[in-house]
Amino acid sequence: MSYQEYLAARDVMSTLGQPVITAIFIISLTLGIISIYHILSGDKRAYRLAARLRKADTVLLIIGFLIITWFHLRIYQTIEVVYPSELSDHMQKNLGEHITSLKFAVPMWIEAEKLYFWTLCISIFLTISEPGYNDLKSGIITVFSSSLNIIFAVFAVFTYLLSNPFIEPLSGLHTEITQWYQLNVISDPDVIYQTLYQLYFRITYFYNSEYMWTHPPMLFIAYASLVVTFVGCVFMLLRTEVFFDKVSYNHAKVGYLLLTVGMLLGYPWAVAAWGESSWWWDPKVSGSIMMWVLYSAYLHLRIYSKYDSMRKATAILGILCFLSLVLTYLLTYIAPGIHAVSQ
Amino acid sequence: MKFTLKPGSYDLYLMIITALTLVMMGLVCLYGIWVYSYTEQSDPFWTETALYEDYINSMNQLMYPFAVLLLIVLGLCIPKRIISKKQLLAAGAVLLGMTFIVERLTDINTSLEFLLGVSILLQTVVMILTILRQSGLKYESEGYFIRVGSSMLHLGVVVFIFDFVSMRSSIHHINIFWVATVLITAGTVLSFYSDKIRTCLISRRL
Repeated sequence: MSYQEYLAARDVMSTLGQPVITAIFIISLTLGIISIYHILSGDKRAYRLAARLRKADTVLLIIGFLIITWFHLRIYQTIEVVYPSELSDHMQKNLGEHITSLKFAVPMWIEAEKLYFWTLCISIFLTISEPGYNDLKSGIITVFSSSLNIIFAVFAVFTYLLSNPFIEPLSGLHTEITQWYQLNVISDPDVIYQTLYQLYFRITYFYNSEYMWTHPPMLFIAYASLVVTFVGCVFMLLRTEVFFDKVSYNHAKVGYLLLTVGMLLGYPWAVAAWGESSWWWDPKVSGSIMMWVLYSAYLHLRIYSKYDSMRKATAILGILCFLSLVLTYLLTYIAPGIHAVSQ
Repeated sequence: MKFTLKPGSYDLYLMIITALTLVMMGLVCLYGIWVYSYTEQSDPFWTETALYEDYINSMNQLMYPFAVLLLIVLGLCIPKRIISKKQLLAAGAVLLGMTFIVERLTDINTSLEFLLGVSILLQTVVMILTILRQSGLKYESEGYFIRVGSSMLHLGVVVFIFDFVSMRSSIHHINIFWVATVLITAGTVLSFYSDKIRTCLISRRL
């Protein structure tokens, strides 16, 4: 197994993934347009066609995810960072860890894959929920379902345009792997030791961390569930029907549970990885707390939702919660701090 | 889940105060995001200076009154299951007053620790009584699991805040964190899905 095999796997990932995500893009665009048409015209054929298109999108997203998973497996199989015995001894003395070699066991939701994973989760949530909506053959509920389709289509289009995981797969990780590989042709031991030493921390506390396997996916599944809550809250404002309140609340429960556990799991990770570094009240931490307290407030108010005025107030809060969620997600890209992509 | 809350009732106001307190905490966080980003623009290395410590202190101070209010409200939520509303409000006022006095005599952290200590004690007693099915407890919602879940969730939140405020340099910090996490997770599951859990258990017995 070698770097060349890794590069070949990366090429295969791009070659196989690009047609899949392009098909997702085209189908999602069509889905969005058909869903808008259904909302405007009430044409039931358009609604049924949209349901089929979304199912096709879900299948393609799963296929894309399998390709991503295969690539991650190949990274694990092909790349092994070997530590020279002197450095290994040095690390044993200083860190108490005996490291001879390390492999990359990277989860499938890092870098550009994050938005893809979130979109996949939304599509699965909508597919699971759909039979429930179809049972209720009210016009407004099919409009609700089409609105969810539009939101999903927006996510899928954004994934293709802004966060396509199949163009330059895992560019950040690729740079680190390439940098390590190039060490083989550098003879300066100081440079080699320094790079390998830094790589140890990156692999242990970031790429291979058990929290990386639990903290982000829980949050993305929560986010996906809370997308449905958001659309339900918007509909609650337009038309106070128990159905929307119920759908919003049911998805908020799933979302809140995963959000809470996911956020909590981030805490010991931050303590282990960053220690006393300047991470407390960093924009992402502040944003996450903001999102959590707002959703807590939403669920508290929801207890009174059997009265119309309280239902509307709860719906407004639910919309604000979702805006805080979007802001929290974007903070990684637009705000400084230890969570920032630029770090 | 069945609720017996009425508009204009004590519980409605309590719920609104809780929600407003949480929203205010959210606004403090939003302010923090803005301050951090703005300061970073003028000095990219400010987190390595004393400015960062000042920022942390100011954020903690801004959060403090809302954290105290939340803990008092959580306290008012839980023991009302044991004592009357009048006694409860009086106890809440005394607790708030004592927290204020401790803050004047010492500092913000100690007063918060005092309040958290009392809260943990109260919530633990309520949780144990709930698990043991004490008939004197009054709840807004019916069902054994939702009662247990609610008390576990409240206790977990208080333990988490206590762990964060007082135990950060302790060797038991992460262990206490996991206790809080288990309480919060189990409490949330029991509160949200009490009906499903009950149905599942009944069908197994049958």
